[in-house]
Amino acid sequence: MSSTLKARGALAAASLLLAVPVHAQEPQAGPPPADAAAQAQPTITKPPELVQQVEAQYPPEALAQGLTASVKLIITIADDGSVAEVLPTEPVGNGFDEAAMAAVRQFRFSPAEVDGVPAAVQVEYVYHFTLSAPVPEEGAAESEAEQPKAVLTGQLISRGSRSRVPNATVRCGDDPDAPEAMSDEDGRFTLEVPAGVCEVRVVATGFQLYQTKEELRPNETTEVNFYLAPSGGGLETVIRSERPKKEVVRRTITREEAQKTPGSFGDPIRVIQSLPGVARAPFISGELLVRGSNPGQTATMMDGVEIPLLFHLLGGPSVVNAEFIDQLDFYPGGYGSQYGRAVGGIVEVGTRKGASDTLHGSVKVDLLDAGFFLESPITDGISVAAAARRSYIDTILPAVLPQTESGTLSVVPRYWDYQVRVDFGAKRGTPNDDAEVTAGGARSSGYIMAFGSDDQLRIVSTGPETERDLELDTRTNFHRVKGDWTYRKGNMWSVFTPFVGMDRSNIDFGLARQEGRTYTLGAREVLGIELSSMLTVRTGLDLVFEHERYDVSFPAPGGIEYVPFPGAEPVGQQLEEQIALSAFDGALFLEADLQLGRFTFTPGVRGNLQSVGNTRNLALDPRLWVRYTATSRTNLKGSVGLYSQPPETFRFITLPYGNPNLSYQRAFQSSLGVEHRFTDALNVDVTGFFNRRFNNVVSPGQLVTNDGGGVFTQPYSNDGIGRAYGVEVMVKKARTSVTDKWSGWLSYTFSRAEDGRAGPRPQGGGLFGGGRAVPDDSTYGLSPWDQTHILTLVASYVLGNGWELGSRFRYTSGRPTTPLARGADLFDADRNRFNATFGPYFSARTSGFHQLDVRVDKSFQFQSWTLTAYLDVQNLYNAQNVEFVFNDYRFRREYGVPGIPILPVVGVKGSF
Amino acid sequence: MKALLKYGGLALLLGATACVDVEDQPSRVQDFRVLGVATEPPELMASACEITTQTLDELSEEVTYRTLLVDPKGEGRPIQYTLWACADTEDRRCENTANRVLLSEGSTVAGELAVNVRPGASTLAEDVPLLQRVQELDPYRGLGGLRMPLVLRVQAGDEVVYAQKLMVFWCPAVEGMQVNVQPRIPGLRVDDVAWPEDAPLELRGPGPFVVTSEDVTALQETYVVPGLRLEAVTLRESWEMSWHTTLGEFAPQETGGSTFGGQEGRHRTEWEPPSGAEAQEVTFWVVVRDGRGGSSWVVRRALWSP
Repeated sequence: MSSTLKARGALAAASLLLAVPVHAQEPQAGPPPADAAAQAQPTITKPPELVQQVEAQYPPEALAQGLTASVKLIITIADDGSVAEVLPTEPVGNGFDEAAMAAVRQFRFSPAEVDGVPAAVQVEYVYHFTLSAPVPEEGAAESEAEQPKAVLTGQLISRGSRSRVPNATVRCGDDPDAPEAMSDEDGRFTLEVPAGVCEVRVVATGFQLYQTKEELRPNETTEVNFYLAPSGGGLETVIRSERPKKEVVRRTITREEAQKTPGSFGDPIRVIQSLPGVARAPFISGELLVRGSNPGQTATMMDGVEIPLLFHLLGGPSVVNAEFIDQLDFYPGGYGSQYGRAVGGIVEVGTRKGASDTLHGSVKVDLLDAGFFLESPITDGISVAAAARRSYIDTILPAVLPQTESGTLSVVPRYWDYQVRVDFGAKRGTPNDDAEVTAGGARSSGYIMAFGSDDQLRIVSTGPETERDLELDTRTNFHRVKGDWTYRKGNMWSVFTPFVGMDRSNIDFGLARQEGRTYTLGAREVLGIELSSMLTVRTGLDLVFEHERYDVSFPAPGGIEYVPFPGAEPVGQQLEEQIALSAFDGALFLEADLQLGRFTFTPGVRGNLQSVGNTRNLALDPRLWVRYTATSRTNLKGSVGLYSQPPETFRFITLPYGNPNLSYQRAFQSSLGVEHRFTDALNVDVTGFFNRRFNNVVSPGQLVTNDGGGVFTQPYSNDGIGRAYGVEVMVKKARTSVTDKWSGWLSYTFSRAEDGRAGPRPQGGGLFGGGRAVPDDSTYGLSPWDQTHILTLVASYVLGNGWELGSRFRYTSGRPTTPLARGADLFDADRNRFNATFGPYFSARTSGFHQLDVRVDKSFQFQSWTLTAYLDVQNLYNAQNVEFVFNDYRFRREYGVPGIPILPVVGVKGSF
Repeated sequence: MKALLKYGGLALLLGATACVDVEDQPSRVQDFRVLGVATEPPELMASACEITTQTLDELSEEVTYRTLLVDPKGEGRPIQYTLWACADTEDRRCENTANRVLLSEGSTVAGELAVNVRPGASTLAEDVPLLQRVQELDPYRGLGGLRMPLVLRVQAGDEVVYAQKLMVFWCPAVEGMQVNVQPRIPGLRVDDVAWPEDAPLELRGPGPFVVTSEDVTALQETYVVPGLRLEAVTLRESWEMSWHTTLGEFAPQETGGSTFGGQEGRHRTEWEPPSGAEAQEVTFWVVVRDGRGGSSWVVRRALWSP
């Protein structure tokens, strides 16, 4: 056979593996700053173009055997256009991989730009080794020219999602010299071929080979839509690279992980509980207990704006709709100077930009609620994404609650939430040369987003056979509207994020009533300048103003209005109050990245000012991060710094219901670690940490005498202290290609967390009804959330045919408990209660917690939509874990409160 | 919002706790117990807040200390008792000998123990009035009255119980203060039939039997106390009753009281004998507390058969 060799490459520009600078790139390479990126997801404004191609040498043995191959490669293109790294995704052997890699290493690209700045990116590239057909005989070309032509035109659509498939090759037949067309950004193609039967072949990265036959009539245009089946079960783009890390630890959860991690009910916030440094919360609570901090000390933000109420109905689903997120960044400590208002960790929820190709959406239904997500382009450069969810358990409960003829029992929990985002500016992955957003060499893009949530709970229990007539009616909601304007010019960039908000909190419980309103106005500005290849400076402002108003009416409570007597609480005289409070919390921050050889030093400082009524609080938070790039795969990192969290505004209400003298809660955080990338798929991170919290708000405070002679228990004080130290290990296996079936991670934390208060135990009662919340024999000791060992193993396996299996196994040390010390019964005759005689504070533990959760997903792909059903089973082998310990009424025996038993949850999701 | 979170979390925990079967229940009297303690009168109030001979005498009046001792399996065995007055409410055993005064001691048997004492007249070493030491240790500086712990140590065989009762000494610090009146249960009904005090009621069947108290609404006093802002605060009693039996158990075991939203409980409970029990005479005790130091109890009997 007469044959000539031919090696061809196809740059899959559409499969730019999103977006972002790669692992090994140098920090001064000009990526968008991590802080800015945390708010505005980076956008490829100029894709790389292949400007110098080098022909690969056909492997001689393969040539001799007549073998052909297509080698899929991941190319890391440096910000100057050179090829920094080439990795095969699916080695094909026979010398093809080596030949393709050798050629590609000599390629040259035009530099890509991310948000207008030259940046390193990764692209997927397919190098085809084919054997060409024999040289045509003379006269053939003329006869071909005389043959009547036909046009095949149409659109390539991803089966099951309706996504357009760009950069796919469409051709008739297997002849290597047959004319072919490349689909454009909208998946459209036009192919001119000889009339007759066309054996259509469509080749696209991430999709199975598409083959069909089309009868093409002479001089006619045939229009078609081809639905391409995604390979590997319709996976979305695999996000392989990461933004450069300044922080010692930033863990990123993709939407895919957030939705499919077993045991999390598809709740993105609960997935974070499976990461290192996060203690297990009791039952199925989503509370984030990060590196020894207490509940409420980790802030969760949506694109830079704090979410005021994270969970529906106390411990229900989080208000963050998984469909709406792009990814989650979790910082267990040592986060950048732009972040504040937390002494624990930070969770940054990055929201999803609307699709730029066509309308997409999904509908999800499970036992608790139903919701939808829609995304669509509006016009060129403008897209919208929206999601909403509503519970319907309030319609189910009446059917299962017991009813009597003489009484009424009604429980009505109800919640809904929404998110809307409208983007302006370039579509992701397309050049941003729109005149409207480009002026004077500068580029602007932005979006407006609104999100909110509403919870209602009404409980009515009445009738002569009930213990008492009870009525509880609560409603809490919040709304936020934020803008985001990103401006870039040269080496300078700016991200401005203003927002407004309104919160409402109403409680009606018998004679007690509270109507609360909070109005919020805030803005954040981050300004960055790359002064040289060695020095980048970022600075900015972070301002929040709040006005709170409460109308309250309630019976005078013991411990606050009068000295309570132990036992039956009387009904106090009715009190009416109207309280208004305005508060400002502002911060100015400055930090710089200084590159010195393999070291990157990032010193930073954040100055905080809080003003509430007549109270002024100042806190200065210096911070330092150091990163040492030992090799292209290994980094050493460390950080030290101070962190501040202002007490919530309502705590500044005047005595005896608040304490206007509160100050910032503070924390010292430090960490030291190493991260190593064994392969493109396998990363290991080991980090040690030591944190010390001080001036934390605790309740109650001390008993004080005011100038008029009255005596009050401060409801809050800054007496709280705490300490935590430990080591975190994270081993993560990512899926590198559609044929890679496994993904998951192993997370292990070894730690000790202490908590308590400085100074003596407060005297008196201090809480509603005069209750006491402080342990009797100690003011400092182990934290109630301390868990020495926290092990989580998450694994997911793609079975094929739309099946996917996931599991999560957890083991944690038991909770600290204070054992009983047997002695005589101590009867409090006034309260009709016994008092305990305890042993040393938190000197025992419950037995260790272990649980296996399993999730099975099955996807059914139809022409233009996909149906996914899932079964998520918590506690598969029904482990009898002890969550808490309580005692019998005489404190003679201990009883364990069991955790949740086996809990299966099913759900259905349809997407298009 | 935070209160809602807190109480919601507590409710969830209590809900989970309710799933655990605890054998030893307060209403189920099986061994030696102290069910109630009362003083007669429930509190002493001086005629003025100035320290004078007259006011000291008024606070030193004799009171009757009563306690309800039950010992269903004791078969009349002797019970040793010691009663102290002390100064620190946190000293549950009255162990600090420097701050305690012995009021009474002796031997008794199950039933009601009554002794006459003068706790207000007690003095410590160097003739320091015990009331003065109580005031010194009171973080609220007497704004809730001077609350003197009376601690009773009782021992039946190897079983030891310490029972603490606060004796309140008042003076008219704000206008409108009145001496507390001892709460009394006006009567009980079983399945809406009056339950006589002097004869056992015949009950038949597996139950549950609905037990109620006669209406106490009119007996619950409205009273005035000094507030922590040094202004008068008006309160209304919301009595609690605890229910006890030698057979089976009550549900709920405690009735009445009010929530922080002022929603008051009704004094209605259900007594259920255990399945398989034989016919027998059953003793019931109901102890009422008014939430400001007043307390009393009633005893009832029933002849129950399955």
